Amino acid sequence: MNATLALIRDTFREAFARRIFFGFFGCCTALLLFLMFIMRIDVIAGALATVTIFGNTVRGADVQGLVVQTQSVIAMVMYFAGMALSVFASAGLVSAMFEPGRIELLLSKPVSRTHLLLGRYAGNVLVVAANIIYLVAGSWIIFGVKTSIWGTGFLLSSLCTIFIFAVLLSVLVLVGVLWDSAAVGIMATFAIMIVTPILAQKAQLEKLLDSEWSRNVLRGLYYVLPKTSDISIIIRHLILNQPVESWMPVWSTAIFGAVVLSAGVWRFNRRTF
Amino acid sequence: MPGYAIETEGLTKIFRSRWSGRELTAVDNVSLRVPIGSTYGLLGPNGAGKTTFVKMLLSCALPTAGRAMVFGRNAQETESRRPIGYLPENHRFPTYMTGVGMLDFYGALSGMDSASRRKRIPELLNLVGLDERAHNLRLGKYSKGMLQRVGLAQALIHSPKLLVLDEPSDGVDPVGRKQIRDVLQALEQKGVTIFLNSHLLAEVELFCREVAIIQKGKLALTGTVQELTSGSGYRLESASVPEPLETELRAKAKSFAASDGNLSLLFDTREEANRAIDQLRSAGCEIEALGQSRSTLEEVFMKTVQTQ
Repeated sequence: MNATLALIRDTFREAFARRIFFGFFGCCTALLLFLMFIMRIDVIAGALATVTIFGNTVRGADVQGLVVQTQSVIAMVMYFAGMALSVFASAGLVSAMFEPGRIELLLSKPVSRTHLLLGRYAGNVLVVAANIIYLVAGSWIIFGVKTSIWGTGFLLSSLCTIFIFAVLLSVLVLVGVLWDSAAVGIMATFAIMIVTPILAQKAQLEKLLDSEWSRNVLRGLYYVLPKTSDISIIIRHLILNQPVESWMPVWSTAIFGAVVLSAGVWRFNRRTF
Repeated sequence: MPGYAIETEGLTKIFRSRWSGRELTAVDNVSLRVPIGSTYGLLGPNGAGKTTFVKMLLSCALPTAGRAMVFGRNAQETESRRPIGYLPENHRFPTYMTGVGMLDFYGALSGMDSASRRKRIPELLNLVGLDERAHNLRLGKYSKGMLQRVGLAQALIHSPKLLVLDEPSDGVDPVGRKQIRDVLQALEQKGVTIFLNSHLLAEVELFCREVAIIQKGKLALTGTVQELTSGSGYRLESASVPEPLETELRAKAKSFAASDGNLSLLFDTREEANRAIDQLRSAGCEIEALGQSRSTLEEVFMKTVQTQ
């Protein structure tokens, strides 16, 4: 437990030192301040009369819809843009661990390689999670205090975002273990982020393909790779308080992450430094 | 109770190129025993395989064949590293950490609880000669010598029974070297086994009781420093030697040196030295010095490396 905490604390310290944490924190705070000041609420005789967001004024009866729509936009921005930023920032944290002169010292301690790698991985996830939770919980409180709307869907969306980041981080870890390269890790992860929304349109794409063989490849890729696009739809359903049709994108993505992370751990355990 | 701190049997490491399939044997069938409580030096020219050997002891590199044991445990077991303190040669400590923070981190990884770390860290930083201003300074601002000292403190944080040091005084000034040597000598007195990997032969000769020389991955020589450097002849020094006698003695000696009217001669055997003394005394020459010749570790090293 001592070692795990030390590894997590070290990742946070490095994130602070590289200004990664402050960068995220600054962006999140700016967004929260923006929300705090752009949303004007008029209360008449103790009841919600109108809410003005982005210059649009809505009457009290429509506030529920407006808040969840705004939360949905925030969640999507955080999901796609925040994810790209997080991947970019975390790539250096992963590969830094394998620097010659540093890794030997870590490996010389009575801590298993699996423990070292997973400790670093957990620290990295927590750095990003802390900022996501700060942004989501902060904006949830702002919306709640101003409108008295306290839906939990928006809060749950942060877990989905953290989850998809954890999966993408496993790709960074595997590439880092294989090639010690932050740049290749970023490229691989971004490739997944770009390709998977295209694969999500598999029904349309299948119509464009001639052979059954190529359609099978398309389906295979869709089911194997993380489903970033499908999970963004799940997040939207959660925020809008609509039923989620299928959790398959979540569990299949979880399997992908677990397999990739296990491959990283396996390779790390056999690598000579 | 195992008798050796380090024991290797046929330890071999072959690096294979993934693409060309070419092989490089970095460590070749090395069997070595380092007794508990000894001060042991590992020597060898660059690329001889010393660092790979050390890395296999710490499980940073996995052996291709053979095995390495640390205090009777297989070096690949995580627990085998608990009694080891290690200072790598080209260490890269995280520059965002302070001296205290770095020791705290590596202390935690070594299994120490926070109370023990809090007590031990200031003691250690003072022991290695880092003053209080340096304790909370970021490592990025440390000089090479300061990094070496804090690195040594890091290796000592959990009071290890075996210290594996790769060029411990690299970049440290002479005063600092003496301080480090004093620290290591105090540890030796406490029974800590010290395994030193260094290019500084004079330092190894001064500090280590036993040495091993590795050349091209193979163990070329092992023994105590005393044994390896003793008895390679008899050295005789005399002054004002007449020229004809000097020429005659030079011809009989294994080697000679002349300066400022003094003649220094080296003979292979005691008999040859005695005969030379008789001749010098008969010619009325004074004997300035007489003794058994000793080689330096550097001479032993060069001879070993060149004959391999």
